[in-house]
Amino acid sequence: MERVSFYDQISKNKRKSVLLVTLIFLFLVSLIYIIAVIFAPELTLIFLLLATTLIIVNIYFSYSYGDQIVLKATNARPADEREHIYLINTVEGLSLAAGTPKPKVYVIDSDEMNAFATGNSPDKASIAVTTGLLKNLNRSELEGVIGHEMSHIKNYDIRYMTLVASFVGLVAIISFLLLRSYRVTRFSKSGREGGRGFPLLLIVGFVLAVFAPIAVRLVQAAISRRREFLADASSVELTRYPEGLASALEKIKNMNKGNMGVSEAVSHLFFTDPVKSPLDELYATHPPIEERIRILRSM
Amino acid sequence: MRLSISERLIGQTTSITIEVKQLTFVELLFTVFVTFIALFFVALLLYYVNRIIVYYNTVDNAWAQIDVQLKKRADLVPNLVETVKGYMAHEKDAIRMVTEARERMLRAGDAKERIKAEGELTTALKTIFAISENYPALRASENFKLLQEQLDGIESKIAYARQFYNDSVLRFNNAISTVPGRWFARLLGKTTPKEFFGITEEEKKPVKVEF
Repeated sequence: MERVSFYDQISKNKRKSVLLVTLIFLFLVSLIYIIAVIFAPELTLIFLLLATTLIIVNIYFSYSYGDQIVLKATNARPADEREHIYLINTVEGLSLAAGTPKPKVYVIDSDEMNAFATGNSPDKASIAVTTGLLKNLNRSELEGVIGHEMSHIKNYDIRYMTLVASFVGLVAIISFLLLRSYRVTRFSKSGREGGRGFPLLLIVGFVLAVFAPIAVRLVQAAISRRREFLADASSVELTRYPEGLASALEKIKNMNKGNMGVSEAVSHLFFTDPVKSPLDELYATHPPIEERIRILRSM
Repeated sequence: MRLSISERLIGQTTSITIEVKQLTFVELLFTVFVTFIALFFVALLLYYVNRIIVYYNTVDNAWAQIDVQLKKRADLVPNLVETVKGYMAHEKDAIRMVTEARERMLRAGDAKERIKAEGELTTALKTIFAISENYPALRASENFKLLQEQLDGIESKIAYARQFYNDSVLRFNNAISTVPGRWFARLLGKTTPKEFFGITEEEKKPVKVEF
């Protein structure tokens, strides 16, 4: 197996984040260009300028407030100094082990056992944990899970993954709007002008709109599997106890129902797949739990 | 004759310029080569010097992190003593051990003394918590539970901070003792390896509890 050092991983994540932002930017601009040409060819330039400004603003917000959006979307609330002192202590301990600043700690009310980290750098990071996880895991198991999240923070995985989350959400919304408006115009225009417009562009626009979310999701799946294995390994580097994480994964495998009500746009952020669906075979965002346990037990 | 001299001069100058031209080409190559090597060494120097300095500072920072946790623990001890006193009044020895270890730790001058005292405090606290098993009323008190969780938390934080400190020390020591790092370390005057934070003799002993 190839060796990946943390520094390689960090610079790779930063590079990928820039690439992602650029690609999304180009994608959205071309999408809007197509829409403009189809619906209002005479206003294309103004349309494009306006849209570009909006997209830049959106990218800026995704970058700076992506973590807030993700935390809101998952109904996370700040951990209580007294009630969750156990969790806060564990997070602080592992951030000391990793030598990173202490992240903000959040709790999600859910019986499912899961956790995630978000933010755009180790200085501005948050960790969220479900109440189910707190209830069912012992200290060494919890440390294993937090260690896993801590390495996502340390490796700048969180920057990339949070950006992906806010863009997947955005692309999904846009393609939905596009599909709907396409249908509406087709019906309204068919009576009067019939085939007016640009069939080719229309087809391209349609294909883009249908496949964009799928493509984004596939990319998201391909990248996060390796990430999860790496984070498991770095968690063990912090806790020096592979069995803790392995037995946490085992508990999760046996007890989780996979019915956490979270959006698909954020599912790749989680410790284990929060939503089970028939499509998991095709684009699961996480490697199979059995495989993760097997690797940990062979360490 | 004059003409021929001037011709010769011209001839010479032309031949010289040609020679100069040939020289500049070789020289150019040479200069590029030398500059490249020099830049390479400057880059190497900057890389190693910065690495050593960063690692050195990380060790200091890691030590400061341990210190913060030790301080926090020392601050919690009086609270614990206050809470415990009411319930286990006749366990004076155990309580005195904790108070004394704490005072020694706060007074400790150098790192070595500090590490020793902190080991003693760890043992003394473990003893208190072991004894507390005999006092159900104390164990049921909210205050005590919270204190125990805080002290447990700090205990594991100290362990983690120590692990990070030792990792940083190892990294720094490797950086200044391997070639070529050691040459640059000599340049910086940072040749003394940092000391690991080992387990003290005190901590290796099992916890003594008398019932």
